[in-house]
Amino acid sequence: MQPIFVDKIQKNFGKTCAVDEISFAVNNEEIFGLLGPNGAGKTTAIRIILDIFKADKGSVSILGGPMTEEKKDHVGYLPEERGLYQDMPLDRCLIYMAGLKSLSVSESKTRLTKYLDRFELAAYRSKKVKELSKGMQQKAQLIATLIHEPEVVIIDEPFSALDPVNTQMVKDLLDEERKKGRAIIMCTHQMHQVEELCDRLVLIDHGRAMLYGTLEEVRNRYATQDILVNTSARLPLKITGVERVVDMNAHKKLVLKPGITAQSVLADLVRMKVAIEHFEIALPSLEEIFIQVVTEGVAKS
Amino acid sequence: MIKTLRIFWQEYKRHVIRKRFILMIVSIPALLAIVIGIALFSVFLTQDDRPVGVIDEAGYLVIQQLPGREGFSPEAQLHLVFFNDDAEAKKALDDGTIQAYYFLPADYPESGEGRLVYVKTWNTALAFQFERLLRYNMTESMPEKIATRLMDGAEFVITSLDKTRQMSEEAWGNLMIPFAAGLMIMMIIITAGNYLLQAVVEEKENRTIEIIVTSVSPNQLMAGKILGDIAVGLTQLLVWSGFLIAGFYMARGSIDWVDRVEISTEYIVLLILVVIPTFITVATLMAAVGSISTEMREAQQISGYFTIPIMAPYWFSYILMTSPNGPLAVILSFMPLTAPVTLTMRAGFTQIPTWQLAINIVELFILAFLSLWLAGKAFRMGMLNYGKRLSLTKLFSRESA
Repeated sequence: MQPIFVDKIQKNFGKTCAVDEISFAVNNEEIFGLLGPNGAGKTTAIRIILDIFKADKGSVSILGGPMTEEKKDHVGYLPEERGLYQDMPLDRCLIYMAGLKSLSVSESKTRLTKYLDRFELAAYRSKKVKELSKGMQQKAQLIATLIHEPEVVIIDEPFSALDPVNTQMVKDLLDEERKKGRAIIMCTHQMHQVEELCDRLVLIDHGRAMLYGTLEEVRNRYATQDILVNTSARLPLKITGVERVVDMNAHKKLVLKPGITAQSVLADLVRMKVAIEHFEIALPSLEEIFIQVVTEGVAKS
Repeated sequence: MIKTLRIFWQEYKRHVIRKRFILMIVSIPALLAIVIGIALFSVFLTQDDRPVGVIDEAGYLVIQQLPGREGFSPEAQLHLVFFNDDAEAKKALDDGTIQAYYFLPADYPESGEGRLVYVKTWNTALAFQFERLLRYNMTESMPEKIATRLMDGAEFVITSLDKTRQMSEEAWGNLMIPFAAGLMIMMIIITAGNYLLQAVVEEKENRTIEIIVTSVSPNQLMAGKILGDIAVGLTQLLVWSGFLIAGFYMARGSIDWVDRVEISTEYIVLLILVVIPTFITVATLMAAVGSISTEMREAQQISGYFTIPIMAPYWFSYILMTSPNGPLAVILSFMPLTAPVTLTMRAGFTQIPTWQLAINIVELFILAFLSLWLAGKAFRMGMLNYGKRLSLTKLFSRESA
């Protein structure tokens, strides 16, 4: 059973179609990237999954069926914009939030102490939330998301306002949660984080799913006939099957003619006794794919 | 249920255990006490303690002092000094040792005519006490029953048709009860409702609502908040009632009109029946307004549309008092938002026809349930509608969030 199964959900706001027949599934032990430009429909999709909004069409299955009040205790949600009581002391605020997930006060206190220590927030536990820095509030928000040990975690921009050290800490935490078997949906604009963390992803644009699959599948789908080569020697002016050579920072990109394989180019370079230090099929980065898909989408519309 | 209770407790704590609330709840009775204190003090300062002279040629005043009352009284007390003739009394008046003097000629028992001499002003309370002393002396030799009857004089009691309510001419303090009760209830309901409004707008503004609704149902959230709001109001009501009752008992025995104040059980029952649905209505409407508004200022503007009608009956208090069963009073009782204060005032002045009362109260309860339904819908539709106001057409449409 997949803990999250989204089947052709659609949601209109007046004449605007915010989400248009989007489908995807998230497995246990998986971090799933929900990507898309601003206004693509990601937040609406999340709100439908969380049962904040009702879908006009389609259905969502969470932990084996529609969302119920009991299931809400097994879901952790971190919204993009912070959602803590600003005037409350940090510990009271988090204990209250945990209480709304049916955690007892004593258990909340025990777990909270561990989390506060881990996130280096123990010294700030009695401070009002509004007195904390943005980064600290973000960490506090993550504690509120995870303190009740949810089976399904939905996090929107978890790395915003975090410095590199804390970003790494959160990445480690998410990895741990994945290893515990959680199904995690992560929304972010930071493509390198997706490449580093996500197992699979869906890219939404204008309410529609444009890409869906594992990171590998997506990148292969957008792979071109290009090769990245690094050599200390000068490349010959003419290489069989190479249309042109583009200088990049550390590499040279060889753009191949149609029908030419990378192997034949490699063989040619070896035959010409070029000292090759690095040879790689030039798979596009997720960021490049993102920009390409979104730009094509804009052009079409 | 436990989640609703947690929300209730959180809501209650965050408003009540706050310096601002404690200050507000204590400062209003304290302010009232200070105002009364200043009034009493100014009376005390202007009070003339000097004795009053008497030339009693008739030897009429066998008893020279009225039976005193126990405890503190802000009223001036009559002390008499006797003189033999006008010249002696005049001299004392000129010297300022007495503030006035009465002359009771030898034929006073027959004629009932005397003379009062004073220089500047004369205290009517002392005049009243002196006249009472004269009557006391006149009736002194009469049988006790007749004496008491003559001393008390006539008192007309206005009684309602079914005799459940009555108003003595002397118990004018009872007229204050409907005003005070209405004012206190109105203030509490509106201030507590404003707390709820503020809480909902804040939660919406800082996006807490988005997390809360992924933990509890909108109904649990609403129920918790409204219960919390009612508890905040009740706390206010209890504290203020406590102060009032304490003040009431302190004044009893010292101030005549306070002694005559009576609150009937039916009136208290009526207050409860009016307050409960009104509290629910205002709280839910405030929550609804908070849900559909984008910021606090806008929310307060919208909430004015129903807080003003709640207060409106005070503008017509003279008409309500003089004609409590008149057309305006009846119309205001049938209008949902003006009904609570109108009923509270009318019931203090008159006997409201039972059929009217029944319809009014049923109407208030129906309104409370309607508000609950509307607030639930507004909450679900408006809570995530950041930056744009939910239109009324959308609110009443069949579309779901």
